[in-house]
Amino acid sequence: MSWGGFAGKILYVDLTKKEVRTEPLSMDLAEKFIGGFGLTVKLAYDRITPGVEPLAPANPAVIGAGPLVGTNLPSSSRVYAVAKLPSNGTVSWCGAGGVTFGYLFKNAGYDLLVIEGRADRPVYLQIFDDQVEIKDAGSLWGLSVEETSETLWREIGRPLGVVAIGPAGENLSSMSMAFVDRIATMGRGGFGAVLGSKNLKAIAVRGTKGIEVADRKAYRQLSGQLFKSIREYPYLEEWQRLGLLKSFSQFPVEIYEKIKQRRVACVSCPVGCKDVVQIKDGEFAGLTAYSSSAVNLFTPMMYGFKDYRQAIKLVHDLDGYGLDMFEFFGVMKFAGALGGKGVIPRSEIEPEIVIDSLDSMTAWAKKTAYREGLGRILADGFKGLLAEFGPEAQDAAPSLVKGLHPYVGPDSAVAWNLFGTQELGQVMDPRGPHVGAGGSPTYFARRPLEVFPKHLTRMGVPQEALARILPGLDQGQAPRDLKIGRLLKYSHAWFATLGSMGICARAQINRFYNAELAAALYQAVTGIPTDLPGLRRKVDRVWTLYKMANLREGFDRKIDHLPDQWFQAGGFKNYVTDQPLSRDEAEAMINDYYDEWGWDPETGVPSDRQLKNLDLTDL
Amino acid sequence: MSKYKMAAVTENCTGCLRCQLACSDVFTKRFNPSAAFLRVELRGPDCSIIFTEDCNECGVCADHCFYGALQKIPKEAVQ
Repeated sequence: MSWGGFAGKILYVDLTKKEVRTEPLSMDLAEKFIGGFGLTVKLAYDRITPGVEPLAPANPAVIGAGPLVGTNLPSSSRVYAVAKLPSNGTVSWCGAGGVTFGYLFKNAGYDLLVIEGRADRPVYLQIFDDQVEIKDAGSLWGLSVEETSETLWREIGRPLGVVAIGPAGENLSSMSMAFVDRIATMGRGGFGAVLGSKNLKAIAVRGTKGIEVADRKAYRQLSGQLFKSIREYPYLEEWQRLGLLKSFSQFPVEIYEKIKQRRVACVSCPVGCKDVVQIKDGEFAGLTAYSSSAVNLFTPMMYGFKDYRQAIKLVHDLDGYGLDMFEFFGVMKFAGALGGKGVIPRSEIEPEIVIDSLDSMTAWAKKTAYREGLGRILADGFKGLLAEFGPEAQDAAPSLVKGLHPYVGPDSAVAWNLFGTQELGQVMDPRGPHVGAGGSPTYFARRPLEVFPKHLTRMGVPQEALARILPGLDQGQAPRDLKIGRLLKYSHAWFATLGSMGICARAQINRFYNAELAAALYQAVTGIPTDLPGLRRKVDRVWTLYKMANLREGFDRKIDHLPDQWFQAGGFKNYVTDQPLSRDEAEAMINDYYDEWGWDPETGVPSDRQLKNLDLTDL
Repeated sequence: MSKYKMAAVTENCTGCLRCQLACSDVFTKRFNPSAAFLRVELRGPDCSIIFTEDCNECGVCADHCFYGALQKIPKEAVQ
């Protein structure tokens, strides 16, 4: 049996020296850190100099795709980047649906890309199999994400996977993201600015080498069962038709059906959650918009927009600038409040900040992306406003976690008040609030605790841990409580499992996978002998290293801050009791989280013995 | 000789390329969409699906399509 799945090489690009080189991927390293997310964390850990400024040339941007990416396993297209991000200085994962970029990158012969240095002029990176060139991007600089991607597709041709930034990334906004194939987002917290700081406008990749699996017989058997279970899923057609809208009943399905042009899938995905829509009438008739979900296009309606066409127009523009919509709205609300209090001088606020006005938000999006006027401060997000306007601003700040606005919370976009793993995960993920890593059955409200063991086992929770998460189980009784902090450890582990292999973490697809199957698929694809206990140990190693990368920057338990707003009137409720959540309860969950990992609850630091057990003694 | 006539329903296609992955796997033993005997291309809302001259209409692409964008029609039904 030969090694499969991996393309076999790491591509290093130094933009300062204009040097490109490759190294073989060490199979020892691959075996130890699984691939994808895990190897991306490992390379970032090795190449980040502690204390380096996020926008300094020396801050590496590491991009990787797991060993399953490029196969036809369902939704195995996931791409991860890791870098220090400017919004809060944490070493952060930035995940995206790979669309076509993931498989084309793997087919070009690479598992990982490490970008360092800073070009002396705007450039883009062109990768055609073994031919890698740093090319002039003078004509692309200043273009929107959409214009950049379209230009590359038009001039180079397809297939072509594209990662691109917009003006917000060029102007180093901490609210900027990179976009994959124009339609998927990568890097809440300022990954766009990390690429912008390197004068790197885009990465364009085409690969023709193919990916082999090591054990075709086992692969066929395992994948065949998986495809069958998906085909037989009773809600598959509904997911394919509506995508994430199926879970967001507040948005108008009839309008979506009217404007829908095409559902788009990342390569190998049977669900296809991405959208192309076109406005049919009114002022913006004919406007085509792309999004990782139509839910995003409608999100301004959560902030008070009445007309869906205006909501889509605004998101279209924000995406074009490469701005993170959630952070943008949070920052604009904060700026508006500071203006109302007179903290920001009236002369600075032109036009007036009106959250539910397209004209106002469009103007402010542009000012922010180009750092015009007050936009020079807004571009730096909450951090910028707090630094500029000091203690007076602090008093008016919304709930913030690790410098970012939570996406779920009493004053956040997503109307949800139960405190589950996703909610606590906003604090306990070393990077702070971001979608994806804190998944568990608590995504759904008030699930009976009796159903949890089945789901937790699927996620890879060891049997011996079930009773700690669900007290009562050990006495042969029905569970009487749910320890969110303890469960969150396994949410993070499951996320790291999927991400390291290259599987999408979205709930509607990861539901078809389970931890035993993940171990078997990893073995079939790579040929690396893998059982579930062995895979768990590797996953623990990966997440522990991710934690260590942030501890090394000084981010210990002191920054696991729980916002006051979460415990005030209208704040979070306990998932099980439905009673208002207290700070003491939430702090106890943090203790539980660290205890479940075996890390020091006072500091969040793993012990030397643990690091030795995980073979991480060289840290 | 193939039993099927292949048909593409482009409006259903999401660009997932499962068809090209399956085709290349059957004929090259590698997942390599560039070696497949059909080409799917999404350009924004537009889509084209083209079978190359080497396609023998085996139907494996349709077997792997989750969206009803490819259909294998028995030739006796066509005749």
